[in-house]
Amino acid sequence: MIKAAKNYLTFLARCGRIAFVGDWRYYAWMGALTLVCLVGLNAYAKQLVHGLITTGMTDQVSWGVYIANFTFMVGVAAAAAMLVIPVYIYDNEELHDLVIFGELLAVAAIIMCLLFVTVDLGRPDRFWHMIPGVGEFNFPGSMLSWDVVVLNGYLLLNVHICGYLLYCRYQNRTPSKWFYIPFVFIAIGWAISIHTVTAFLYVGLGGRHFWNSAIVGPRFIASAFTAGPALIILALQVIRKVTEYRITDKALLTLRSIVQVSMIINVFLLANEVFKEFYSKTAHVASAEYLYFGLHGFSGLVGWIWTAVAFNLIAMVILILPVSRSLKWLDVACVLAIVGIWIEKGMGLVIPGFIPTPLGEIVEYTPSWNETLVCLGIWAFGLLCYTIFLRMAIPILQGKLSKSSETQSVPDTTPAPITSQV
Amino acid sequence: MSCSSNSPNSGGCGGGGCGSGSGGHEHGMDRRSFLRTSSVAVAGVAALAASLAPLRDLTDVGTAEQFFQKHYKKLTPEDMEKVLARITREVEKQYEVRPHVRDYKAMDGVEFVYALNLTRCIGCRKCVHACVAENNQSRNPEIQYIRVLKMPHGSMDPEKGDHNYTSELVPEKGSFYMPVQCQQCVNPPCVKVCPVKATWQESDGITVIDYDWCIGCRYCEAACPYFARRFNFTKPSIPKDQINPNMSYLGNRPRPQGVVEKCHFCIQRTRAGKYPACMEVCPTGARKFGNILDPDSEVSHILKTKRVFIQLKEEVGTSPRFFYYFDV
Amino acid sequence: MKAERKTPLVLSILTISFLILAATFLTDIWGKSAQLPEIPPVDPSFTKTATARVSAEELYRTKGDTSMLECYGCHEQGKELTLKFDEDHNVILPDEHDDIIMAHGTHNRNNNCFNCHDEHNLEVLQTRDGRTVKIQDGHDLCGSCHGPTYRDWLAGIHGRTSGFWNVSMGEKHRETCTACHDPHQPKFLPRKPAPGPNPLRPVEVKHSEGKAH
Repeated sequence: MIKAAKNYLTFLARCGRIAFVGDWRYYAWMGALTLVCLVGLNAYAKQLVHGLITTGMTDQVSWGVYIANFTFMVGVAAAAAMLVIPVYIYDNEELHDLVIFGELLAVAAIIMCLLFVTVDLGRPDRFWHMIPGVGEFNFPGSMLSWDVVVLNGYLLLNVHICGYLLYCRYQNRTPSKWFYIPFVFIAIGWAISIHTVTAFLYVGLGGRHFWNSAIVGPRFIASAFTAGPALIILALQVIRKVTEYRITDKALLTLRSIVQVSMIINVFLLANEVFKEFYSKTAHVASAEYLYFGLHGFSGLVGWIWTAVAFNLIAMVILILPVSRSLKWLDVACVLAIVGIWIEKGMGLVIPGFIPTPLGEIVEYTPSWNETLVCLGIWAFGLLCYTIFLRMAIPILQGKLSKSSETQSVPDTTPAPITSQV
Repeated sequence: MSCSSNSPNSGGCGGGGCGSGSGGHEHGMDRRSFLRTSSVAVAGVAALAASLAPLRDLTDVGTAEQFFQKHYKKLTPEDMEKVLARITREVEKQYEVRPHVRDYKAMDGVEFVYALNLTRCIGCRKCVHACVAENNQSRNPEIQYIRVLKMPHGSMDPEKGDHNYTSELVPEKGSFYMPVQCQQCVNPPCVKVCPVKATWQESDGITVIDYDWCIGCRYCEAACPYFARRFNFTKPSIPKDQINPNMSYLGNRPRPQGVVEKCHFCIQRTRAGKYPACMEVCPTGARKFGNILDPDSEVSHILKTKRVFIQLKEEVGTSPRFFYYFDV
Repeated sequence: MKAERKTPLVLSILTISFLILAATFLTDIWGKSAQLPEIPPVDPSFTKTATARVSAEELYRTKGDTSMLECYGCHEQGKELTLKFDEDHNVILPDEHDDIIMAHGTHNRNNNCFNCHDEHNLEVLQTRDGRTVKIQDGHDLCGSCHGPTYRDWLAGIHGRTSGFWNVSMGEKHRETCTACHDPHQPKFLPRKPAPGPNPLRPVEVKHSEGKAH
């Protein structure tokens, strides 16, 4: 028992150490991310002192880019399932080893989600009020408490699956199926649930007609399964470029077909929403009108949403055309899809839900500088986490960091597999 | 391709320096690179410490007592006594006024209802400011529980209302005025969504907030169909000479930064048997308040005898305890 | 070997960047959070609970100056008063009463002083059915014409009420008609409204809000 614990600690220590080792590009990248993180931390310290007055939010628009980014990142996290489903349900061999990369992305994304929620709190010092048993957890009444449960559950599931698989690989033994396959299947369902529950956060509010629509949930899932795999496509190409980890084009093209179908469904659902709003033109069209065309001379989001619509449509066309089988075009489509969906979630969903207010007042929202810096800091931190995870995972998957290499290497001569291209 | 380097060497130095600091071989290059890595580490830690510099301005860091304070419903009477004493101390220190802080409880056989006569309201906004004064609301940034909407004749759709009218005289021809505040719903969406039960409905129908429990997520603000909730975006400011010293825990005691507040039917007045401040100040008597369980109360009479009364946004199913009615 | 030299370079750049960043944080070069715009204090009159006017009842109750209500300080007791009307049948008021604006009821139907005042005893009021009413009990007179409103007033749902809703805990005070309505000109007079809401972020300074210098 003690030996097992010691082995595991050695594993963790070696993983931790390798995160600090790399070539000059690794240092530059990590250093740059750390700089941005610190800028974000500084901005957050200011927010902590002065309150959310440092953001662009108001009583009228009481959620802003923090919650918009949170919503987007939940989608990215959920999208890990889009790698897992083909592998474990359809036995797609091409993607098999890539599942880990998807799930590590999910872990990083959930960490970002939790940070985005935390910075949005007026009283982060009272976070413990949300801990079940210790605080007063309004479960199952509040959708936000559901979200806390599913997000943390998803985080644990993915940490377990990734950690277990990597540790087995490190020890060079075959993972016991009972120890992870059930969790993989739970995680697939769970992935859908995290984004559905996040959608219900909005859908459940009867007083906000723009959100109170049954299609929001499906739209969330469709957009997540577009943006998430698109992000993974880009990430995998970066991994392929900077490491010698082999990722086939075929794997990327499998992901392409996922993005392709999801994007078509995403645009289709968007069209449904737009039709319902503008054809019936009930009194509840105000938010949609503000979003797409401007209302009573206020048109702060019009430029954003049409950019998003254009990006989504162009991405869809590229994805449908055979031209996106070339990685160059696929990358363009992915970037457009990610940006388009990011805008759609934030500027297109969260903010217009508040405009006009239930009492018809129009107060526009622009994120403040401080708020933007906090967001950038969290994004940088997320990337930092993902990079570190990959930095640890790739040598293990390659067999370069393993138990067998433990004895022969003194800590300070640990080879840096990432850079070793002989 | 371009990243190829003699990795065992470079990696070794970097790893040793950062990982354990024990990699000091008697080798010139190693020592130099050790210095380099440790200087990055030191500079990084310095930047980390400096990034937290704004925290210097953090004036009132709460005490452990405050941090570990339990939820309102779990406070024993002795706990509550201590809490009230703490609030008294804090108010005295900050505002130089000795407040009378109490925890007024709901009375049995009482359910409060508000009724507002739209025929009589002239839109003078006195209720807005009486409420601010009574309930110790922040003057800057401004927090007000009541919004008076100037409405065109013929519509009850708040979206047609003007929030910012600056008429020389009110009422103006062709308009009526509709003050909106917390509707004290029978099915309050704000209570349902709160993740930590910091807001709940009391037996007398008032939806209250424990300002010491609210985490400031503002989900309730998003859920409220009446724009009734307000968030303390920064520390509230109230001139010392304008503090209302008659305070209640769930009501008008000064709120901290980062929590939500709203109309609570002047709990410190109404649970002491008095009318709320907005009603006391209304020059026309358009506002009526009372116990709906008492068949002889004013509000009972209104709901019995007036032909039309309106619950705002009836379609959202909140069932407000705030009724709008008309004469004739 | 080229890449080998880059690592030290990157590390040096990072060290310098961290130090610059630390200096930036300490000097707070991004500036403090934007100052809140001034909000002028609200005129205290807007929070006063006084009624629109002072009724006769209130004057007697509070033992105020009731000289205005003592008609025979000027009028001669027992002497019959005759009213003068112009060609439009508007009553012509003497200079002593020029503060009175006759505007009770529409279409000039109610411009005879003795519709309400007792011509035999000016210090009391009279109803249409011949009852006399003390001036401080004016609501009886008003109620003799304004039935539904009177009923509402009796039930406490017309007019101002103050004090305690729970009469077991304190006194409930109901204002009389003339605490709000001038009997000669009963329409509630328009007044200046209190200032409207001030936005948290005024639109004009929105752009300077982003406090990047």
